[in-house]
Amino acid sequence: MADVALTHGPVADKRRGEGLTAATLITPATLFVAFCLLAPLVVLFRYSLNEFIPAKKMMVEAVTVANYIRFFTDPYYTSILATTVRVAVMVTAICLVLGFPLAYVVARTQSRFKHLLIISIILPLFVGNAVRAAGWMTIFGSKGAVNATLMGLGLIDKPLEIMFTEKAVIIGIIAVNLPFMVLTLQSVIEGIDRAVEEAAFSLGAPPGTMFRRVLWPLALPGILAGTILTFILAMNAYATPFLLGGPLFKMMAPLVYNQFTQQANWPFGGAIAFILMTVTLLLTVAANLIFQRRAAR
Amino acid sequence: MADLSLNGLSKHYGDFYAVREVSLTIADGEFLVLLGPSGCGKTTTLRMVAGFIEPSAGHVRLAGQDVTLLPPWKRNAGMVFQSYALFPHMTVAQNVAFGLEMRKLPRADIERRVEEALALVRLGGYGGRLPRQLSGGQQQRVALARALAIRPDVLLLDEPLSNLDAKLRQEVRVEIRELQRQLGLTTVMVTHDQEEALTMADRLVVMNEGSVRQVGSQRDLYERPADRFVAGFVGRTTFLAGTVEAPGRFRSDGGLALACAGGSPGRAALSLRPERIEIGLQPRSGLDNSLSGTVEFVSYLGALIDIHVRLSPSDRLVVQIANREGGFTPEVGQPVHVGWSASAGQVFNE
Repeated sequence: MADVALTHGPVADKRRGEGLTAATLITPATLFVAFCLLAPLVVLFRYSLNEFIPAKKMMVEAVTVANYIRFFTDPYYTSILATTVRVAVMVTAICLVLGFPLAYVVARTQSRFKHLLIISIILPLFVGNAVRAAGWMTIFGSKGAVNATLMGLGLIDKPLEIMFTEKAVIIGIIAVNLPFMVLTLQSVIEGIDRAVEEAAFSLGAPPGTMFRRVLWPLALPGILAGTILTFILAMNAYATPFLLGGPLFKMMAPLVYNQFTQQANWPFGGAIAFILMTVTLLLTVAANLIFQRRAAR
Repeated sequence: MADLSLNGLSKHYGDFYAVREVSLTIADGEFLVLLGPSGCGKTTTLRMVAGFIEPSAGHVRLAGQDVTLLPPWKRNAGMVFQSYALFPHMTVAQNVAFGLEMRKLPRADIERRVEEALALVRLGGYGGRLPRQLSGGQQQRVALARALAIRPDVLLLDEPLSNLDAKLRQEVRVEIRELQRQLGLTTVMVTHDQEEALTMADRLVVMNEGSVRQVGSQRDLYERPADRFVAGFVGRTTFLAGTVEAPGRFRSDGGLALACAGGSPGRAALSLRPERIEIGLQPRSGLDNSLSGTVEFVSYLGALIDIHVRLSPSDRLVVQIANREGGFTPEVGQPVHVGWSASAGQVFNE
């Protein structure tokens, strides 16, 4: 029996050692998330319950939901929230419609240039949002490339109003988000056996039916992931709405920034930040539930 | 069920011909096997019949209708894929019902035919399961049931057994063949496994480099191979390189003078089936060729024994004998006599 105990001892020690190694490895990331993400959120949430005295530009310690009430009772702010949700939904929908065929082609191509195709999809992400938005400004402006070309060709006689409109912002955010959608969908479509599509065809399903009954449900996890990613990015877009939307077009992220820096109103800024976060989360969860219910049918 | 004919079917990608002028007629209820090494064009041919690949030239006629330009969903062809290609998000019953729903059958008919098809492949009661809950062999049978449920004009099998283990493969082989006979299904199967091809087919098509090399029964291919490729691909054979000096006279590169059947003067290969050669310690009389040699290698296969015999520095022959009680037991290094009649060998001119 002594022998058995002796042979078991070191093994058990080794096990404990592995557990310790694992703990050591995950600790930095856990601490980072705790201190750099959760802690500021807690502090911000506490601020959002404070009072603000505009005359002195001063925050006063309190526990009140006044900031939240102010947001939801003022149509100026609720319309900004509505605009943000509308833009995010449109961007996400258009990204899905544009991204799916592209992702499908990339996933299914036999070409040896496939990696080049993927790089060219990621390439736009190498340019920062602000730089890209500045680029868009030169194209969309009333004397920009688009209008100059169309007017030069005689197709229009007065410049199209693209710049500083919701359209410009939507186009701009789509350009940022499309790669995320395409890459997410592509990796999921690649995991679907091509023969499954062919099986549907051979059983009499035309392409549209095959897509609806086979490809779409099988790609659903990727569609969901891509949609959530795109939606969150669009809800929180800052540089693009700020630069392409102009001074009159408002979305939530620039509004938060404005409250903190221009108005120095930390309680209200904190409240808006939390409203943005909560709405994003609720809509994401709701979409998730709807998708999953439909998939389960 | 119906007949199928391919007429001058070709598929080329630039200069490369995947399939070159394939013409075949498959009778109603016939089981035809396309056999060949990988890349020989057999799968491309099958996919052109299914409609997944558009031919560069030629025609496909199915049940008296030219379907060459019809998309797969407008042809009534049931296909079983190598990977089975079951819909992973649908139950077994939903998989089998899919083709029937596409045909817009009434709900009651669909249910009845799904049950029939599942009973046919002995999977009655498995309708509610998901494909991933089944074994490989069961998944294969669901794929078969799904293809049969639509009552196809032709059943297409693309290496249907290659993902099964050896033992199961032998069972499924017989099962598919019996089902095919019972239902009178016109069937085209693609395989690279010659044993599979030989046991299942009514008629075989040997393909190589995109072309049909020979069409015939098992016996035709084995006894009267059309060319050197078919002789080497179907069954085993030893090729002796040499020259035909005159019809009936073959001289190997190692200097052996051999009697053969026919052949025209020039470079040629003499094909000798291992089991058609006599071997013993004493020369046997009455054979056209009788030679002495040395045993170089023996493989003991249980029922059979393979003996590699060195006849000359450049000629080596494989001889196969049945492992009979009290029969010849070869040993490496042993001097032996081998012999065969002229008609046992086949000459292929180069």
